This record gives sequence, C-alpha cells and structure tokens, in this order.
Amino acid sequence: MAEGSIKAPAADSRRRSSADKTRIREILGSFGSPIAVLVLWEIGARTGVLDARILPPPTVVAVTIWDMIQHDQLLENTGITTLRFLVGMIVGTIPGTLLGLTMGLFRGVRVTLKPLVAIFYPIPRIALFPLVLILVGLNETSNIIMIAIGPFFTMLITAMAAVINVEPIFLDVAKNFGVKPRQLYFTVTLPAVLPSLMAGGLVSLGLALLGTVAVEFLVSTEGLGYVIWNSWQVLSLSRSMAGLVVAAILGAACYLLMDWLERWITPWQSPAAKR
Amino acid sequence: MGRAAREENALDGRDREPAHAQLQPVAGITIQGMTKSFDVRPQPVRALDRVDLFVADGEFLCIVGPSGCGKTTLLRILAGLESPSEGTVDFAINHTNRPLQSMVFQEQGVFPWLTALDNAAFGLTARGVAKSERVERARAMLAKLGLSGFENTYPRQLSGGMRQRVNLARAFANDPAILLMDEPLGALDEQTKMLVQDDLLKLWEETRKTVIFITHSLDEAVVLGDRVAVMSHRPGRIKALYPVTLARPRNALELRNNPEFIEVRSRIWEALREEVLWSREE
Repeated sequence: MAEGSIKAPAADSRRRSSADKTRIREILGSFGSPIAVLVLWEIGARTGVLDARILPPPTVVAVTIWDMIQHDQLLENTGITTLRFLVGMIVGTIPGTLLGLTMGLFRGVRVTLKPLVAIFYPIPRIALFPLVLILVGLNETSNIIMIAIGPFFTMLITAMAAVINVEPIFLDVAKNFGVKPRQLYFTVTLPAVLPSLMAGGLVSLGLALLGTVAVEFLVSTEGLGYVIWNSWQVLSLSRSMAGLVVAAILGAACYLLMDWLERWITPWQSPAAKR
Repeated sequence: MGRAAREENALDGRDREPAHAQLQPVAGITIQGMTKSFDVRPQPVRALDRVDLFVADGEFLCIVGPSGCGKTTLLRILAGLESPSEGTVDFAINHTNRPLQSMVFQEQGVFPWLTALDNAAFGLTARGVAKSERVERARAMLAKLGLSGFENTYPRQLSGGMRQRVNLARAFANDPAILLMDEPLGALDEQTKMLVQDDLLKLWEETRKTVIFITHSLDEAVVLGDRVAVMSHRPGRIKALYPVTLARPRNALELRNNPEFIEVRSRIWEALREEVLWSREE
C-alpha cells in the first residue's frame, strides 16, 4: 500500500497535520455548539415555537444587555459578582487544599479531623446560611463564607484522597535515587497530586458560582444574582434573562481560564500527551 | 581474561554456592541467612527463608521463580526499600564517586510529570550533580538507547518500549556500581522486549556493572545472565544456581535458536517447573 512506503519524517509531519486538523475541528465544535443553540433559540422565538415573552430571542436579550449596561449598572453588578466569586474561591480553595494535603500526609491529623468532615460535608450548604447570618451578621463576610464552603470541602476531600492515592512506586523510585524525605513532598507528592487538584478546582469553580448567585438571590441588593431575581419578581423576564446570560458568560470565562491554567500547570496531562 | 576464569569457577561450583563466600577476598554482594516476614493478618507471611547468595562484582545474575516467591522482596531489601527480618547483606564493591546501587523499576515507575530528559537525569538531580553535567549525561544515555529527539517528550506520549528505555536510562545515567532490576521488561510485548533486551545487553557489556535482574521469563534470564538463580515457592529460598556460558556479546534474537541456549534453558526449566507447580497447588 502507498501508506507503507512513506518514510518516518513524512509520516511524522502527516500525523502532525492531522493533529492540527483535529484541533481545528475541536475548536470549531466547541464554538459551534453554543452558536447552534443560539440560532435555534432565535428561530424558535421568532417563529413562535417558543413563547417570546418567556424566552425572548437572543438578539432581544443582547439589546436588553446593552440597555442595562448603559442605564442599570449591569457592569457594576457583574463586577461585584465576579469579585465575590473570586474572593470566595480563594478563601475556600486555598485553605481547603492545604488542609486536605496535610490530612493526606499525616495520618494523625487525618484520623482526628475526618469525623468533623464527615459531619459537616453532607449538610446542604444553603441550609447553613441562617446560622452563618446569625453568627457572622448580615454582611459581606457571611456571603463570602457561604461561597467558600463548597470549594473548601471539595478541595479538602480531593487533596486528601489524591495524597493517599499517590502510586507507591513513585515514592520508592525517589527513595531509591536518594531523594531526602523532606524533598519528597515537592519532587513526588505535589506533582503527583496536581492533576487531581486541577480537577477539584474545576468542580469548585461551579460550586463557587452557584454559591455566589444563591447568596445574591437571598440577601444581596447588588450583583448578578440580585439582578436576575429582582427582574423576575417584577416579571421583567427579558432583563432576568439578560442577567442569566451574563452570569453564564462569566461562568464560561472562568471555566476556560481554569482549562488554560490546567494546561499550563500540568502540561504532561494535556490532550496532546494522552494516547 | 579474569572473566573467563570466573565463568569456569562457576561451572565447577555448579548448583552450589560456597556457603561462606564472605571469607574469600572476592568483591561482590554477600547475602547471608536473609529472612523476611511480613506482619499481615490473619497470620504473618514469610516471604524469604534463610537466603544465602553471593553475587560477584561485575556479574549479571538473573533470578527466576514462581510468582509470589519473594524475589521482588529480596531485591527491595537490596535496594534499601525494606529491611530484612534476619540476616545480613554485605556490599563489598568499590563505589567511589558513584552511588552504590540504583533500581530499574517496572514501567509505571517513570514519572509522568517529567520529560524523558528530566526522568533520565532524576538520580543525578537528587544527588545534586550540576545542571550542565546532568543534562549532558542524561542526553548521552538517551541517545545510546535510541531516544534522541525525544528529550522533551513526556512519558505519556511515548510507547511502552520507549518508556521502558527511559527507565533504563534513568538508572544507567546515575552510574551506580550495582543495578537492581525488578522485571523491568515484564509489561512489554515479545518483539519490543527483545529489542530492549538487546539495548540492555549492549549497555551492560559496555559498562559491566553488577546486575541482579528479576524476571518471570526464563528465556530472558538465560539471554541476559551470567548465572541464573532459581528460587523456590514461598517462603523463597535459592533452590539452585546455573551458570550460563553463552559467549558475549550476545544477541537476544539469534540466541533463541542456539543449541546451547536451548539446552541450558531446559535444564533450568526442570528445576523451575517443580516450584511453579507447587505454588499453583497452594
């Protein structure tokens, strides 16, 4: 066959170009699917298949967004939500990760703290809100705590499990080649758990965003959650929808950022490195 | 050559090692009365039972035995990853300016987060060898194993055979006096295995390090080793030792049709078969 006679370098470049094609196809696909949904939505709303009063078409939503940016401080509200989300994410993930790693590394700490995790983790987090409000007060701190709880537990459990599940062979290799016990954490344990931490980060992201919007629904007078809820209560559905779309864009942006961060921090896990 | 003389000695002492090898002024590894028990429930498991073994400096010793016979445990003790319950190991091998031993682990022991080059240089990095020197040594070792151009590739992008060569490069670049190999080629397919065996033979024939090589493949043991030790079923003991006098340099592929190879192999198989059957009945 013709393929059999191709020499190695040619085959190599051929493979690369087909990898490029796959990549392009993936990018087109990842942009294509949301665009397809928008187009169908637009057509549906215009033709009356969807009730335009409940689901105003994307073009109308876009105009509403523009209008709200100019007259109703939509950007400011988006900024407030983003800030809350980021602070909550940091306050949750960093201590959660550190505590999880510590619990994974030291059996004593793990045995002592695990019962507390087992008690607090399964409580529906939003049910804790009244308690937090009473303890901390009706202020931004309690909002941040509510947002941070989800990422905190997610990272704690992910990090702990990741450390416990580090392949023993990696530790053996390091020991055999003379890595000192204290260096072991940085040369083996940390890189070995990074992929799990990145996955936990992605889950935390969704939880933090959920927490942010939930808190804004309930107590806040600013932020995207407030915009969505308030607009709905006055039955201004296109404004509510506009807030929802902006929140979705914010979420997607964070997701993409995280994806990029993952490629950068764990390059050996990138799709090109997977067989 | 001293090597030929030693092989003859090995022939004379067929099946039986001098029990007090440490009395002789010969350089090598002396294992005496080594016993290892693991404290597991419901009752402790005895993995090794009074193992006596002498491995001469510069010798390539292969150990075969039924699965679960404790051969890996023996190697892990030599590698400093376990300590024996009883008995002693004496490393009378000169290793100035180099580490005493490095282990070649099974394929999954290659670090996925390091490039081929960083993996190969791992031991040198851990020992604090200067960057320029360790890069040079790791690069040279990868080149010897046919991995030039893959220095910056992550293990996941490599085939199983290439990954295993990275694993070999890591141990050889570290340049220890003794190499301990734990079924390093066990996960490879037959063809790739033969190719990597050839690489390994070439490297070893250049360096003549002391090697203890554990394998479940009798073919592999005979292709590679100066001597083959057969271990008994659990608790593991050295049941018999067989010299392999096939001429070097050896070629993994051609050797398999060599009458002498076939003869030695069938002789060892008789000893091994009993043990394999035994452990199967358990």
